[in-house]
Amino acid sequence: MVGLSAGEKHFICGGIAQDLRSDGRQRLQFRPISVLIGVIPQANGSAQVRLGATDVIVSVKAELGKPTLLQPDKGKVAIYVDCSPTAGPAFEGRGSEELSTELSVGLQRCLLGDKSGAVQPTPVPNGIFLAYECATEFRAGIDLSSLIVVEGKVCWDLYVDGLVISSDGNLLDALAAAVKVAHLLRMFICCTDIDGLAALSNTGIPKVSVSLGPSPEDQPEVDVSDEEFLQFDTSGIPVVVTLTKVGRHYIVDATAEEESQMSSAVSLSVNRNGHICGLTKRGGAGLDPSVVLDMISVAKHVAKNLTSVLDSEIAAAEAAEDDES
Amino acid sequence: MRELRVLLNQTQKVRLQAALQHLRDLSFQASSPAIPVTIADTIPVNREDGILKGHGTLEFNGQVVATQCGVVEQVNKLVYVRALKARYKPEVGDIIIGRVNEIAPKRWRIEINFSQDAVLMLQSMNLPDGIQRRRTAVDELNMRSIFEENDVVCAEVRGFQHDGSLHLQARSQKYGKLERGQLLTVPAYLVKRRKQHFHHLEQYGVDLILGCNGFIWVGEHVVLGENEMPEDQESRMENQEQNFTPLKVRQQICRIANSVRLLSAHGFSLSLEIILDTAEASVSSNVEINDMLGAEFYVQTAEREVQRRASLLKKSRR
Repeated sequence: MVGLSAGEKHFICGGIAQDLRSDGRQRLQFRPISVLIGVIPQANGSAQVRLGATDVIVSVKAELGKPTLLQPDKGKVAIYVDCSPTAGPAFEGRGSEELSTELSVGLQRCLLGDKSGAVQPTPVPNGIFLAYECATEFRAGIDLSSLIVVEGKVCWDLYVDGLVISSDGNLLDALAAAVKVAHLLRMFICCTDIDGLAALSNTGIPKVSVSLGPSPEDQPEVDVSDEEFLQFDTSGIPVVVTLTKVGRHYIVDATAEEESQMSSAVSLSVNRNGHICGLTKRGGAGLDPSVVLDMISVAKHVAKNLTSVLDSEIAAAEAAEDDES
Repeated sequence: MRELRVLLNQTQKVRLQAALQHLRDLSFQASSPAIPVTIADTIPVNREDGILKGHGTLEFNGQVVATQCGVVEQVNKLVYVRALKARYKPEVGDIIIGRVNEIAPKRWRIEINFSQDAVLMLQSMNLPDGIQRRRTAVDELNMRSIFEENDVVCAEVRGFQHDGSLHLQARSQKYGKLERGQLLTVPAYLVKRRKQHFHHLEQYGVDLILGCNGFIWVGEHVVLGENEMPEDQESRMENQEQNFTPLKVRQQICRIANSVRLLSAHGFSLSLEIILDTAEASVSSNVEINDMLGAEFYVQTAEREVQRRASLLKKSRR
């Protein structure tokens, strides 16, 4: 990333203050977004999302595993993001580690809530607490309990891997959008006679038949079907909207140049119903609680538009796929 | 240039294909069609004349083949392939825009998209306020008050030194630091060498500088000789709010910058006329600044270019 001269910085800040950014966008306008589905055939679900010059790929793999002892009724999701050196010379070797970790953690917080997989209103003595308070319902983005096959015995482990191919700011939003789209695909979700799986009926994981052994101690036999898939319910997966604060205003979908001028950035994940599923803040500067509240209401509004844009993109991409086959 | 990606719907795709096909046909009708080659393509040559194989070519099984993608060029006997997305190749007298990389003793090193950094010596520039420089050690220590790291500067190519380094000069009021605007980078081959690279668009109040190295500056118009002293800048940055570029001017800057982005995404050569044409077309068809990068205007631009080239061809035939 090249540095900017004082004059250019001044110009960018001025543009944001006057609601006309360098490429003619307004503060709350996204760049055009494009979605490609099924870019990695080996994965259960994959998607490539381009947001202006930002380009990311996400693949989702599902494997059968064992639930942890602490949470026998929940599946596991591992999220890992890598930055390819093609995105910039700074990412060569170990240069991308810091950013990769930051993005992985950010994505985890936005999609899974905290580590236990559910958002809990932890009382933090600052604005974040308020943010939790005003969210009427706390719900993790990905419902982990829907990934269980046999309680305590078999569950689905989802491996969500992101790759940043080209970076021009707003990576978190692009990655989250890609995760949302990638989940639509053939995820091998299991189907047993257990009632709990009814919730998964329109989600895309492969069908699994489970035959329970005679004694409850036995590991159940699992048979994964190659032909039958269950659709994973992706409508619940939230989109992430990052509000980047530059000067006294905040913008969505910041480019790399604009991000270099930010004082802090708040990423909010909002699901279809307008519920906040997670929140993470980057950047050093503090935020006034009232600003956070303001940001939440703006993010909800922006997320609504983004969700509908993504939905239409998904529909278009699926239609294109159907045409080919 | 970070590539612009445009999502087209089916009809727009068809229209774009048709427009591009037209452009291809037109270029074949022109007097000397350029031969585009990719790696391992055979280059048709007239063996009897005897040829010299130049850059990007190779003798293979008795044929001349290309070793890189580009356009075949021939100068007398020499046949070579000119790569399209190569780095900038400086020529003496080129007006270029660059970004200061480093301050070294008595010189600035400037990034200009060449294979090495260019050098601007302190002695080969006139000071911004036009006063005579006193060649003292103190003066050299104060170089940062003229250009700092990351500053965008405009200069002229002075020539290559004996050691192979590239030297620049800035001996006029029109050269120097560029502020209050945005820098765009496009492939260097899109900017052709012309008589005039500095443009003051009076109707818009915008300065447009087309650097030969593919760096393009679009900024607020600066009146020559009114450059503030460096001390003023400090105070100027402090009361930022009052000093922002006026919204009207900013709109024009963004409109022209988006025209440049759009044209470079199409791969059309950038000249003042075509940039202004695009900007005016967007105004007359009521396209928002942001939507200039959208699919519809993208296709319209290609179609307009077809018309322009077709009419040029007609004129030249008459």
